[in-house]
Amino acid sequence: MPKLGLKGKVVIGALVFLILVFIGALFFPVPQPEVHLSANYGGPSPEPFYKLGPIYITNTLIAAWLSILLLIGFFYLATRKMKLIPKGLQNIAETIIEIMLNFVDEVAGKENGRKFFPIVATIFLYVFINALMGLLPFFSVIGRFHTGTSDTLMQTLIHTFIPSLSPSLGQYSGPIIDVPLFRPANTDINLPLMLALVSFFSVEYWGVTSLSLRHYLSKFLRFQQLSQGLGQLVRGKIKPALGAILFGILDVFVGALESLAELVRILSFTFRLFGNMTAGEILLLMIAFLTPWMIGVIFYGLEAFLGFVQAFIFAVLTLVFATMAVAPHESEP
Amino acid sequence: MRLLGAGIAMGLGALGPGIGIGILGYGAMQALGRNPEARGPILTNMMIAIAFTEAIAIYALIVAIILAIL
Repeated sequence: MPKLGLKGKVVIGALVFLILVFIGALFFPVPQPEVHLSANYGGPSPEPFYKLGPIYITNTLIAAWLSILLLIGFFYLATRKMKLIPKGLQNIAETIIEIMLNFVDEVAGKENGRKFFPIVATIFLYVFINALMGLLPFFSVIGRFHTGTSDTLMQTLIHTFIPSLSPSLGQYSGPIIDVPLFRPANTDINLPLMLALVSFFSVEYWGVTSLSLRHYLSKFLRFQQLSQGLGQLVRGKIKPALGAILFGILDVFVGALESLAELVRILSFTFRLFGNMTAGEILLLMIAFLTPWMIGVIFYGLEAFLGFVQAFIFAVLTLVFATMAVAPHESEP
Repeated sequence: MRLLGAGIAMGLGALGPGIGIGILGYGAMQALGRNPEARGPILTNMMIAIAFTEAIAIYALIVAIILAIL
């Protein structure tokens, strides 16, 4: 056998890889994924497993419950017998809490940070654990199924180039999921909407309790300069009154824009988290369909990283808006 | 026609955020080059700004998905 140099080894490695990919796509196919936006793969509105009064028990709700149980169980076990020098689970929990608390203190200052910390940290941990649990192997594959067939990419490719072979070569036939039992919780639009509402009302609550209600609302309802201008008009000073009235109307408009920006934040939070997570789920399903074996594991890493980034962004944006809301602003001269 | 609209929505909707994120990265790299010690705050603020601009592309993606599926 002649000795193979580096170039030879690379060529042989590439050939073996291509043959493995071919065999995998031909004999171990994956059914074509169906993309649904609703929670229980329903139509425009989800068809839940069970309806408990007004509550729809859907697969995303079960996944959200699982992550709640995981978080509560972890922190309960970590704080059972607390020692001054932490070991084991308590150490891990303390490290996590300390990193988050340091970051929150850095952004918001010491006393404000301590006030904002519980909700911000809960939002971060909840979104992160939901995103990670969506990547576990038993999500989206256990559930109600029917046995059927599904065309695959390899099948259409072979049929185009070699039409003489049987048209069912490379077709997938087996169980196809109708409704999975678990689905990543962030892909249901209700969970990001809930978190956005919690964040919005928390920011308003902190703003109103640190500054008085009147001071906080004066950021949005700025009638001060307009009333000054009207008062000057009544008292007879026409020229300064016109300038003050003009700028007063501009001020009212700016206040309305600010309040609109506050409300649009809810929509922006919701769709940012929902869009990222749904697009990630669709991407993973498509990659698993298009490439055989475990070539799609790279996208798993991307999904995990994206889950962390989205959780971080949600928590940090809540923190930054809360810091801006409690900062006392000077009134117009 | 709906599917064509979905494709155009996502395609055109990704132009702006793509350029925006590129400009953000440019600014962050410049700042990092001038002051390598402030790496932490620069990267944190860059990630926050990137999340804001990426959300616009995600809105376009939601419109495209809704057009294509529902």
